[in-house]
Amino acid sequence: MASSRLIIFCGKGGVGKTTLSLAAGLRHAVEGHRVLVVSSHPLPELALAVSLEGLSARFPSASKNFFVIYIDPRDLIADLVRQYFPVPMMSDRILKSAIFMNLIEVAPGLKEFFFLGRLQELAERKNDDGTSGSLPGYDYLIWDAPATGHFLATLRSAKNFEVFLSGPLATAGAQLHRFFSNPENIQLFPVTPLEEMAIAETVETAQVMSGEFDIPCSAVLINSASPMCTATPAEMALAESLRDSSPAMRFAVERGWIERERRAELAAVLPLPEVVIPRLTHCANDLDLLARLGERMDLSQFS
Amino acid sequence: MKIIVCLGTGGVGKTSVAAATALAAARDGAKCLVLTTDPALRLRTALGLKPGLLEQRVELNDSPGELWAALLDVNATLDEAVRLYAKPRDQQRILEHSIYRTIAHSLSGMGELMAVERIDQLIRRGFDNLVIDTAPARHALDIFDKPVLFADFSDSGRVRFVSRTYKFAEALGLTTIGRNALEIYSRAEAILGSNMVREILDFYSLFYPIAEGYSERARHTVARLRDPKITEFRVVTIPDKAVRDTGFFIEELKKRGFRAGMVCINRAWTHELPSVIPDGFAAELLDWYAGMSESHRQSAEKVRETYGADVQQIRMLHELERDVEGVDSLRQLADQLQAAPLEVRP
Repeated sequence: MASSRLIIFCGKGGVGKTTLSLAAGLRHAVEGHRVLVVSSHPLPELALAVSLEGLSARFPSASKNFFVIYIDPRDLIADLVRQYFPVPMMSDRILKSAIFMNLIEVAPGLKEFFFLGRLQELAERKNDDGTSGSLPGYDYLIWDAPATGHFLATLRSAKNFEVFLSGPLATAGAQLHRFFSNPENIQLFPVTPLEEMAIAETVETAQVMSGEFDIPCSAVLINSASPMCTATPAEMALAESLRDSSPAMRFAVERGWIERERRAELAAVLPLPEVVIPRLTHCANDLDLLARLGERMDLSQFS
Repeated sequence: MKIIVCLGTGGVGKTSVAAATALAAARDGAKCLVLTTDPALRLRTALGLKPGLLEQRVELNDSPGELWAALLDVNATLDEAVRLYAKPRDQQRILEHSIYRTIAHSLSGMGELMAVERIDQLIRRGFDNLVIDTAPARHALDIFDKPVLFADFSDSGRVRFVSRTYKFAEALGLTTIGRNALEIYSRAEAILGSNMVREILDFYSLFYPIAEGYSERARHTVARLRDPKITEFRVVTIPDKAVRDTGFFIEELKKRGFRAGMVCINRAWTHELPSVIPDGFAAELLDWYAGMSESHRQSAEKVRETYGADVQQIRMLHELERDVEGVDSLRQLADQLQAAPLEVRP
């Protein structure tokens, strides 16, 4: 099998990228695929939910193929130093040196650049189980990307290295930029609730991604939708007639209308396939939430 | 002088709460400014915010005080610092330097450094109250650490020494082998390439006078931010993230010896449910609302149980039915902030 494409979940901060990455990952792992979710921020509680015993009890098949990691670019740079200087005394001295660490911190985009390199390496692994001696690859490699601004800055770091520097880092930058600008390597899924700011960012990200990187969006993941969002006209009429029966009803109906308007606006600007993921209530625990969200998230239909 | 620092992760309405906090202070008669980084378009319009260095006054007709707003424009603040503090002959070289341009492109860390610079400028301009809307991220408190680290680093003279010896070695025509005597950065060169190292050092030697002046101001400003008589920390969160965010920020504040003031649980669904539940889809919709509402109350309760002793007060602010245009949305939030606390159910 050819190497899998890198699946990116991007969007504004707090829209549910991590939750949906884990939910989609869990779903495909339950189906028997090898799945890796890469997070660029330290793992929150939800990720722990999938690493706990609950997983092996409820989804024994998934617990063997489902991996969630957090990559700290500082560790990658430290690894590189250790490769160059295999004697621990020497490498430790460099790593502990204030000058070296400050160079790393002040070099703009350096950490992001190393992070991209690692993602590319993971994406290019072959999809076998590693028995042939190579490192095992993944059927689904999902990057739970940082919030939009940092996400775009990360992708641009490769290009910036190419443009602003010369020498080996510039060459590596050009090569990375090629990888991340090739739609054959990347599948992009913006995540957005039906809220003004998040939608605006989604549209902006889609434009930047197709303009600067030649990467189209595969589908928009509409998160936290209310029941009104997918209601039939008859259901809408019923809800509307009861609007003023209580403050809660008024809020729910009003909210529903706003969401439907925003969804129509979004579809008009970004005519893409949509996956509507409801805001779920009454979940027993995080694992239950992820499993129920995962039911709606079949990514294979977009490959 | 009072400073309120609003902390919160993305998507919780932190900027709105910050602006409403400033509005409430203006109603009490203060000359108050909210400094924000990236407000929603509607709020941006309501506050009349434009990129650049100017503060905008927001017209209020119901307040004895004044409400002002300013956008933290990192590039403009940085360029201004270069113009103010670099030698005239170096200014153009700095502004056109490739490292400077890259910094301007990828900004990581510059936000925190420039926020402190901007706060200093605003304090000098005589505002009674400042409300700081920090970056929407968990590392928001870097605003206290980074400037000081940067100041220590710049003051140590290390960079100046390194860049001078490096240039000296080059000027003497010493090759890579010669520079190897300067052990650490020859290691850095091996990894980053000599071009990159030279660029960084070259940039630092140019940037040094700015860093020096900056360090002094930053230390002074951070000291004020650390003074509990002047500064209050306010955690803004939403019900789904309330327990996690509150725990995280309380811990981060404790590490630095600060105490949290108010925890605002924003966008809570606390609207009253009907006594008689209707049929069909309406029942489904209400059941969905009730489920959300119950989980919101539970998280607020959990925050109170777990962190009640660590904070001064916990407020639930209910979500507005429809986004209100302009300053009116802030008035509604300010009303909630000024009203008797909507108590978290015991």
